[in-house]
Amino acid sequence: MSWRIWTLLRKELRSLFATPIAYAVLTASVSVTAVLFFGSLLRFNQMLFVFHGYGIGAGGFDSGTTPRQLNLLEEVFIPLSQDVSLMLMLVVPVITMRVFAEEKAQGTDELLLTTPLRSWEIAAAKYLATWGFVALLLAVSALYPAVAAQQANLGVPHLLALYLGELGFGIAVASIGLACSSLSRNQIVAAVVAYALSFILYDFQWLATLVSESFARVLEEVELQSHLEAFARGVVGLRHGVYFLGVGAVGFTISVGSIELGRAR
Amino acid sequence: MRFLAPAGLVMLLSGLGASYVSKAPSWFEIGNLVAGLGLLAAAGVQAAFRFRGFSGTPSRSLALRWAAIGASVLAASLLANILAVGWTAALDWTVEGTYTLSEQSLRVLERIDADPGDPPELLLFEDTKIWKEVDPLLAVYAAASSELRVRHLREQEAPPEALRLLAGLEHTVLACRDGRCEAVGFPSEENITNALLRLLRQGHPVVYFLLGHGEVDLASESEHGFSGLARALTQEGFRPRGWIGPAHEELPADASLVIIAAPERNLLPRELEALDRYLERGGRLLVLLEPSVDTNLNSFLERWGFELPAGIVADRATSPLLEEAKLVSLVSGSYNPRHPVTRGMRARHMTLLPGARAVIARHKPERDDQLRGLVYSSHHSWLEQDVRGALAGRALQPGGGETAGREIPVAAAGLYPRGDTEARIVVIGDRDFASNRLLDSLYNRDLLMNSVLWLAEEEDEITIRSKVWTPPGHPLTIQQTLAYFYFFAFALPEVLLLLGIHAWVRQRS
Repeated sequence: MSWRIWTLLRKELRSLFATPIAYAVLTASVSVTAVLFFGSLLRFNQMLFVFHGYGIGAGGFDSGTTPRQLNLLEEVFIPLSQDVSLMLMLVVPVITMRVFAEEKAQGTDELLLTTPLRSWEIAAAKYLATWGFVALLLAVSALYPAVAAQQANLGVPHLLALYLGELGFGIAVASIGLACSSLSRNQIVAAVVAYALSFILYDFQWLATLVSESFARVLEEVELQSHLEAFARGVVGLRHGVYFLGVGAVGFTISVGSIELGRAR
Repeated sequence: MRFLAPAGLVMLLSGLGASYVSKAPSWFEIGNLVAGLGLLAAAGVQAAFRFRGFSGTPSRSLALRWAAIGASVLAASLLANILAVGWTAALDWTVEGTYTLSEQSLRVLERIDADPGDPPELLLFEDTKIWKEVDPLLAVYAAASSELRVRHLREQEAPPEALRLLAGLEHTVLACRDGRCEAVGFPSEENITNALLRLLRQGHPVVYFLLGHGEVDLASESEHGFSGLARALTQEGFRPRGWIGPAHEELPADASLVIIAAPERNLLPRELEALDRYLERGGRLLVLLEPSVDTNLNSFLERWGFELPAGIVADRATSPLLEEAKLVSLVSGSYNPRHPVTRGMRARHMTLLPGARAVIARHKPERDDQLRGLVYSSHHSWLEQDVRGALAGRALQPGGGETAGREIPVAAAGLYPRGDTEARIVVIGDRDFASNRLLDSLYNRDLLMNSVLWLAEEEDEITIRSKVWTPPGHPLTIQQTLAYFYFFAFALPEVLLLLGIHAWVRQRS
């Protein structure tokens, strides 16, 4: 990484943490994840308690009721993945909306555009800063699940896979948000369009019933959720990483193009 | 004209919101989505024409160049995704290796690849809601075999031989070959591999349950019944049948395996002689015993090398899981790692035997015979002689004697070469672990079916079945869960919030 990107990246991170928004977002993320994970874990605990307490000891279970139905994947990891992805979709556009749009609204972008920095360097610094913040947000929100997984031997690698997926998902949503921010002067518009695009891309299953089977398969490959779910199931697949990086690359290109066109004005 | 973009957004969001809520798309949602996207596109075109840069040729060419670059990156990204669909390479980070095929499954797939006949295919019917969960596992099967085909179908596209099975099935994955289909059941590795095995088998080995001495009813659905075991055998491709011993002179010639499940009365001498003859000609026998019942079957088994000392195995280290633990409710995770029956079982693959007697592989009837222990209690166990009191929950004190402080075997296996044939016996010191109530508890089914498959000489197909991991105990106690919760849900956010306030105050000043 060139020192120019590094300098700009530090400036971006400083400005991010100079406002209370970043802390508020981190606080909300940690609290919400903790509450939701606690809920899942508590429910799972209670179900195990019922099974172990009465199923084996006192024989209160019907035949066919098995502990196989009580598993961490379905009861804890999948709900956690859905909760965290929803949280990212709600929180990340709040962070990304200001990255380009605020500079345009305040006119500070002209200062930046007249520096010898190349457009891709400006975009790279802003993207890396935002992706870094998403990684930090996920790392902080993963603390509780990680400690619980480690303490109770719940499968730390599986949790790691889940959060790798969330990181890819967060990068994709952040890239959509940054692309929207780079195309707009208005932060609210940038955020709303980012929300709309993220929600559209998130799940195409509602459309799958209307189209042919082959097109439904294509839609499944395009949607964010199916790629995320593979990670939540503990499978770290290259193709899912390619998808998330592809979304990031498209967003990045749009932002670089937007900066170039801004310079041309 | 500035109205276009916000109007488009509102319509788009309304359409999306309605479709998420209703889950069944209607014209309202579709109309809103189409109109919203149209208005946004129109607003985009309008914005492009308003763009001042278009007034000069160099700027216009710049805009077009970036539009082309953007389109190229999008196309490259889509192409990479299309290519990547075929990349099945993935890391399986699940606790039990849910998406990593066991050696046994891989061997079955090797057999399929080497088979000159029509290869089997797995049919996944996408009408089921679970197909997303199943798809990754089926992809692993397809990647591991050059012959096995995986097809995604809708129910109306089902081949005729599959239609019969589809009716009333909850989870619709079928394995089909040569006009014959087998239901997979819940599409786990265990069930998929077993369905493929059933397709590969030419016939169905017959398993006879000895009846007529107060044995548990094979058809009984009660919690102490064995209907679950009968179903499990059927699922593995066996054909379970009852055989009333006192009414016959000889065991049926088609018996691949005989199961004797804790008879409560003595067997007739001629029944024991028939069993001897059956074993001498290479028969296979699975015996489930109970500590509270002693019959002449014990002396029969002693002739084949098993010692069955009186008493019930009590284990102080056995029952942290159980709410009202009895010391005789044996939860065992100690297995013989060298025997085919228990080779794949580790300490976490615990089995629950709610009252087991000791089964010791004591002596070899002939020089080439091999007898081995299979399952053991912990070092904190002893043989309690007050069997009825122990089962009734009376307080027990660790006893002394020969077995105190040693692992006590509660299951053992014998292999007896006899001329060109080979008899096999597995004795398990508990009957109830195979009952409907406990068959699917922990890894009971694995121990039982591994024994059956070893006896039926299908040891290549012995597999760890339960691949959905359930931790052996509570993941965290309620107190631990609460302590972590308070820290991560309140203390940590509090610190972050204070930092935020500090940043805000500094910004204002």
